[in-house]
Amino acid sequence: MRDHSNRPTMLRSVAVLAAVLALSSVSRAQQAAPTQGQRRATAPSPTANLPFDPHDLSGIWRFGGGLGPTNAPPMTPAGKAKYDANIPGLGGPEGRNKPLGNDPMMICDPLGYPRVLSFGAYPMEIVQLPGRIIQFFDFFYVHRTIWMDGRKLPDDPEPTWYGYAIGHWEGDTLVVESNGFNGRAWFANGGYPYSEDSKLEERYKRVDHDTINITMTLTDPTTYTKPWVIAPASMRWAPKEVMREDVCSPSDEKKYLDEIREPAGRKTGQ
Amino acid sequence: MFAHHGSRISYDLTQMVTLTGTVTEFQWQNPHVYIKFDVKDKEGKVTNWGAETYSPVVMTRDGWGRKTLKNGDKVTVTLWPSKIGTPLGFLAKLVHPDGHVTDLSNGAGPE
Repeated sequence: MRDHSNRPTMLRSVAVLAAVLALSSVSRAQQAAPTQGQRRATAPSPTANLPFDPHDLSGIWRFGGGLGPTNAPPMTPAGKAKYDANIPGLGGPEGRNKPLGNDPMMICDPLGYPRVLSFGAYPMEIVQLPGRIIQFFDFFYVHRTIWMDGRKLPDDPEPTWYGYAIGHWEGDTLVVESNGFNGRAWFANGGYPYSEDSKLEERYKRVDHDTINITMTLTDPTTYTKPWVIAPASMRWAPKEVMREDVCSPSDEKKYLDEIREPAGRKTGQ
Repeated sequence: MFAHHGSRISYDLTQMVTLTGTVTEFQWQNPHVYIKFDVKDKEGKVTNWGAETYSPVVMTRDGWGRKTLKNGDKVTVTLWPSKIGTPLGFLAKLVHPDGHVTDLSNGAGPE
């Protein structure tokens, strides 16, 4: 167990410290879960039964679930070629992860969407404004706009890392469609590719005060032989979190690579 | 696993090593915070070890900050060592200079 008796006095009060530690314990338990998408079977939150507006998703949330590789559909030859060229450090099936791979994250390339969503150790803040919803991601300190003003997806979008997103409500479900991805990001940890031809559909439903369920379908005929229905996931309300600045600094990343990651993972003699 | 920068695979999660030494560098930065420290063996030979942990954002939840350690601090570090035997590891437990403990050994382990 943690020793709480004589912690440093960096935090302003014992109450704050206790809250932070409690949250930390929860987060680590979630991190330790061996499989993705199932870690919500934890003790019910005392605030789960508070009243809520199902069309109000604003607030700070933490993702708990998977963009897991477990149910990826068969790839096309072009998709398989890209997949084989991607060498992940994490998130791949047994034997695929390598100590020194070519994950774009390792050189601070943008994570792209939806991969940035999947890092549940870091919070996401949703802000709803007239005509748009904005997701702010602590991890890599980026944001994504979902246009809610009735516009259509562009027919020939300029490709970007995070794509172009529009949304509308179907009952109490927020349906977000996006395209315009540049095909350079990885769809998920594990080196799963997706192409410029990708369309992504996300469905968000706030099912209680503390929980938003997410389902997601990737349609990318260039890479996958059929639509990839991602394992259902959820986001948990995280009122004690604050948005911090988790930037990826290329110079810091290089120092870490040189001093820690590479010497810890390099094969003897290389 | 909420993984981050994929160094988990480099470490041997079946064993932990405990070392006592003197901090030579405390890197409070992304992607991972790390501590470099000198360890002297019985013959007096000094080896500079490194222990990485989570990012500053994650470690902030444990009350860490840029002033958590400084050069010259005496620390006892328990880590999951590198599989290839380089003097590096992922931090499992730290006994700070004032004796208080950060225990990450029951958590997720390396990212």
